[in-house]
Amino acid sequence: MIEFKNVSKVYNGGVKAIDNVNFKVENGEFVILIGPSGCGKTTLLRMVNQLEDISEGDIILNNTSVKQSNKIEMRRKIGYVIQSNGLFPNMTIEKNVMIVPDLLGWDRKKQQDRFNYLMELIGLHPDEYRKRYPHELSGGQQQRVGVARALAADPPVMLMDEPFGALDPIIRTKLQEEFLQIQKEVNKTILFVSHDIDEAVKMGDKVALLRGGKMMQYDYPSEILHHPANDFVSEFVGQDRVLKSTSLYSVKDLVDEVSLDSYHEADSAQPVNEDTSLRIVISKLLNQEADQLVVEDKQGNKKGKLTLELVEKFLHKEVKETPNR
Amino acid sequence: MMNKRISQIVKIAFWIIVIAFFAWTFANDLFRPIVEEFRTFTNLLIQHITIVLISGLLAIFLSIPLGIFVTREKFRKSEFWIVNIANLGQTIPSLAVLALAMGFLGIGIKAAIVALFIYSLLPILQNTIAGIQSVDENMKDAARGMGLTPAQILWQIELPNAASSIIAGIRTAIVINIGTAALAYLIGGGGLGAWIFTGIRLFDNSFLISGAVPVTLLAILIDYLFRLMQKLLVPKGLRLAEEAQKS
Repeated sequence: MIEFKNVSKVYNGGVKAIDNVNFKVENGEFVILIGPSGCGKTTLLRMVNQLEDISEGDIILNNTSVKQSNKIEMRRKIGYVIQSNGLFPNMTIEKNVMIVPDLLGWDRKKQQDRFNYLMELIGLHPDEYRKRYPHELSGGQQQRVGVARALAADPPVMLMDEPFGALDPIIRTKLQEEFLQIQKEVNKTILFVSHDIDEAVKMGDKVALLRGGKMMQYDYPSEILHHPANDFVSEFVGQDRVLKSTSLYSVKDLVDEVSLDSYHEADSAQPVNEDTSLRIVISKLLNQEADQLVVEDKQGNKKGKLTLELVEKFLHKEVKETPNR
Repeated sequence: MMNKRISQIVKIAFWIIVIAFFAWTFANDLFRPIVEEFRTFTNLLIQHITIVLISGLLAIFLSIPLGIFVTREKFRKSEFWIVNIANLGQTIPSLAVLALAMGFLGIGIKAAIVALFIYSLLPILQNTIAGIQSVDENMKDAARGMGLTPAQILWQIELPNAASSIIAGIRTAIVINIGTAALAYLIGGGGLGAWIFTGIRLFDNSFLISGAVPVTLLAILIDYLFRLMQKLLVPKGLRLAEEAQKS
């Protein structure tokens, strides 16, 4: 758990980069810090592992004040990923990934097993990459290795500073999805800096929106999108916020809330899987691929018809009621 | 294509000149002193190497730690002063540095060593500083964030990544030193300069050539050795990265 208690950062000359921030990240929660450039999101992240000092207040990391802990020991228990991957060009991939376990004095066998496990996890063949060097890898592969390195000593907490920010959109989307899968398996407490609201909505369990060092809103993505706390938040998430929120829901969420139209064999309709995001459903319906879609569950059973009206009905319900998911 | 052809012509021209030069020296028996006074020659050569070796080692042992020192966060402000003092040693003509050293230490090999030591500080110091400063900030940030101590960052990240630059600095300093050490004779420091200056005074090409050619060959040899060393000391990953960038 990471708890920010009245945290402020004042630079010489009295500029407040962080202004009395309070919030809690529960164990296993994936929290996105987001905001415009200069809002202090990266500073706030770097205060957790003490790369930046805390001027006032404190951050409690797993029941210990970060101010009072030994910086070096504490950092070895926190995974750290940065935008420009920060891999060391003088070391092989294996040495890069195993740098923290090495510092912690793990034996050779344990390191090797861990390396193999992590490489499988990020989808790179361990033996193929073990002896290679960072420059031989593509940007996406390097960033994957960066993630593996942060996970190496199995730290309970991960700090990620725009880890996918420098990648091209296709690779970025791919890595985002891969990382969500990894998170399902490793279940870390994650603080993740982003400037991309779509990324935040897609990845985060919760989103913390900052401006000028102040917390604007800290809530579930659906809440931020459906109920912005103030004008700034609503401007930041954009006027198409309802559309953005559609990527939060899958067809299954819709089926649970509203009843589908009944389906007849005679109707011509495209099949759609229950796990499909509503955003894709809307896109499919709008671009005239089909007027209606047939919802199928995993076994291929046809559950009913899905139309734009139904999606609309569902979204109205969600926006009004917004049960905390 | 054009560039390749030009470089080929230059290469051929170079080797023709080298061969012509040696043909001329052998035809006129200009290496006679080396054969006739072999004992003196080896003594002078050893003196020459001693001057270069001791002054070079002293410069390495002072400049590299100094370069590390001024690139530490806490002492960054000292860089301006230290580099400028070292600059001073470099801007004074080498002959004047020798004369100054003689003024303090008298005639002999000691003064020559001190003068050359001062003269080689700057290239090593500058390359050490430049090498360490060119290490990517993000890389150091990642290292700090993962819990490496400042000493571990220095030994595992900064120095390996700066190695290429530091060795290049040492190479430059030593190779220049080999040539400059010929001047040591002027303040009684000995070395192969003795024959070169004798040759100049007596208008005797054989002494001039027998002194100058070994100095040149020594410089080329040392340069080559340092290039080999660079291959051994620079981490493989960095060398491969550099080669990949070139091609």
